[in-house]
Amino acid sequence: MSMRFGRVIHFVGLILVLAFTLFPFFWMVTSSLKDQSDLLASPPVWLFTPTLDHYREIFEDPKIISSVMHSLIIATSTTLLAIVLGAPAAYALARFEFRGKSDLWFWFISNRMISPIVLALPVYLLAQTLGLLDTHLVLILIYLTFNLPIVVWICTDQFRSIPSELEQAARLDGASQFLIFWRIYLPLGVPGIAVSAIFSFIFSWNELLYALVLTRRAVQTAPVAATSFMSGYELPWGKIMATGTVIVLPVTIFALLVSRHMVRGLTMGATK
Amino acid sequence: MAFLKIDDVVKRYGDHLVIDRVSLSAEKGEFVVFVGPSGCGKSTLLRMIAGLEEVTDGNISIDGHLVTHVEPAARQVAMVFQSYALYPHMSVKENMAFGLVMAKTPKPEIEKRVANAARILQIEQLLDRKPRQLSGGQRQRVAIGRAIVRDPKLFLFDEPLSNLDAELRSQMRVEIARLHRDLGVTMVYVTHDQIEAMTLADRIVVLRAGKVEQIGTPTDLYERPANTFVAGFIGSPKMNFLEATVTDGTDHTLTLSHPAFVGGAATIPTHAAPRVSRGGKVRAGLRPEHMALGGGQGGTALSLAGEFAENLGGASQVYAQTPDGDTLTILAPGRHVIDKGVPLTVAIDPARVYLFDDAGRAI
Repeated sequence: MSMRFGRVIHFVGLILVLAFTLFPFFWMVTSSLKDQSDLLASPPVWLFTPTLDHYREIFEDPKIISSVMHSLIIATSTTLLAIVLGAPAAYALARFEFRGKSDLWFWFISNRMISPIVLALPVYLLAQTLGLLDTHLVLILIYLTFNLPIVVWICTDQFRSIPSELEQAARLDGASQFLIFWRIYLPLGVPGIAVSAIFSFIFSWNELLYALVLTRRAVQTAPVAATSFMSGYELPWGKIMATGTVIVLPVTIFALLVSRHMVRGLTMGATK
Repeated sequence: MAFLKIDDVVKRYGDHLVIDRVSLSAEKGEFVVFVGPSGCGKSTLLRMIAGLEEVTDGNISIDGHLVTHVEPAARQVAMVFQSYALYPHMSVKENMAFGLVMAKTPKPEIEKRVANAARILQIEQLLDRKPRQLSGGQRQRVAIGRAIVRDPKLFLFDEPLSNLDAELRSQMRVEIARLHRDLGVTMVYVTHDQIEAMTLADRIVVLRAGKVEQIGTPTDLYERPANTFVAGFIGSPKMNFLEATVTDGTDHTLTLSHPAFVGGAATIPTHAAPRVSRGGKVRAGLRPEHMALGGGQGGTALSLAGEFAENLGGASQVYAQTPDGDTLTILAPGRHVIDKGVPLTVAIDPARVYLFDDAGRAI
């Protein structure tokens, strides 16, 4: 009896949480399918005839397609670079003792403690001096600074959980330091790498502040494009919501693909 | 010249001395077992031979080559870890082949060696499985197989059986002994289990607190332990000790007094008699298997008060108290029921009494 009651509470709680987190998405997707009169209806209409007009409108707008492409280029490059640079750093932090290790570790974390807007102006001036404004590179570099700590952080933890006997066995088997990383730690660290890749990609994909500050017309990312529809004279909600839906799709697909690798117990069977 | 030579080796972690000037050697083909309580440094010593721990001071040589500061892989040793340390993302075959792949061995040669090792260990049907799909005993075999394929000069085992249940442990013990006989290679084996040490070893090295207590054959250690620590560690159940006083003696015997002896004293034959001062304290060691319930007339015997008996099936482990309150263990054939406080007469063979001085050294 009480167990059944517990299950009901559990179920209700789950529904509340799901409703809370999914409602904005539901609202975004349905709004993107409403025509202008349904959109502005008060009280809101729940049953309506869906229309693809807003989607037609944004796909005819070359700005949206190109902004999604810019975002893809930037987020993919940042994520790849963050993993390529971050995973070896995490391995070093997880397995080697060296002078200044804890300071380095703290420095990685402290990068995330600074509010991004504090650095906006210095970064803008730096990018201007280097002639990097309105390029893919400037956003890749700045996103890398924010993403590397996350990758290093998560991967260090992941690598620490790999039994050190595996490394010793590999050393006795004649594997070099690089091969131990490549053949043992990397394959076994896949769950941590997958998680940090998702974080890295989502952050780069959604980032608005630096994209707004550092780019103009040549490299306009998707979030910037979506907000650019808002002008002083009109608020095309349907178009904004359709753009939002299109923006959310790639990152959702990416997260779903990568999440298959976020499994526990990958090192099962190594020891005992 | 010795095949494996450890010369005055020291290991220190900061101020903490883990291995204190240990020297020993092993001949080619010998099976040497390091035994001692946990924390005695036996695993550290093994890992120093493997090259996984830096040597603070002293030298290690294998097959005539000084390897003190040589990389682990270049020492041509293979190690079986206590935790097996199998690569979980590789199949059994890949696990076994990994070392050969690293050494850039030609593929047909790898195939041949893996197949051969798999046949020896009877794991041919497991080659395509992942470690997580194997039982503890099978993982242990794979770990040994990984060592065999590399055809090392020296096999190192770090408590390889401690994760297995009792039955599997004795089965694997026999297999390791057979492997040693068939391969004829030098093996160094670490364990805290004295039965493993006694059954497997050609020679046993007893370690305590980073120091060698005694090196010898299993029979040596059993018959002639150098001190009370070795005497207590080798043999099961543990040796009993009685604190006795030397009251008298001849050139070949000592008369010891202790309240547990029937008549308060016993005469023990020993060649060391002239060197022991009268009135001094000695420790008399009695192995439980050398004691018999119900001592006959006239023989040397102990008079004890029974405590209880553990039934082992074919034999019993009887616990009894001396008048001064020490508990002794007696291994007696057959089943016994011992009531608490019942008087017990226990016969001992004077020729099988071990004598140690006050500091615990064998006399």
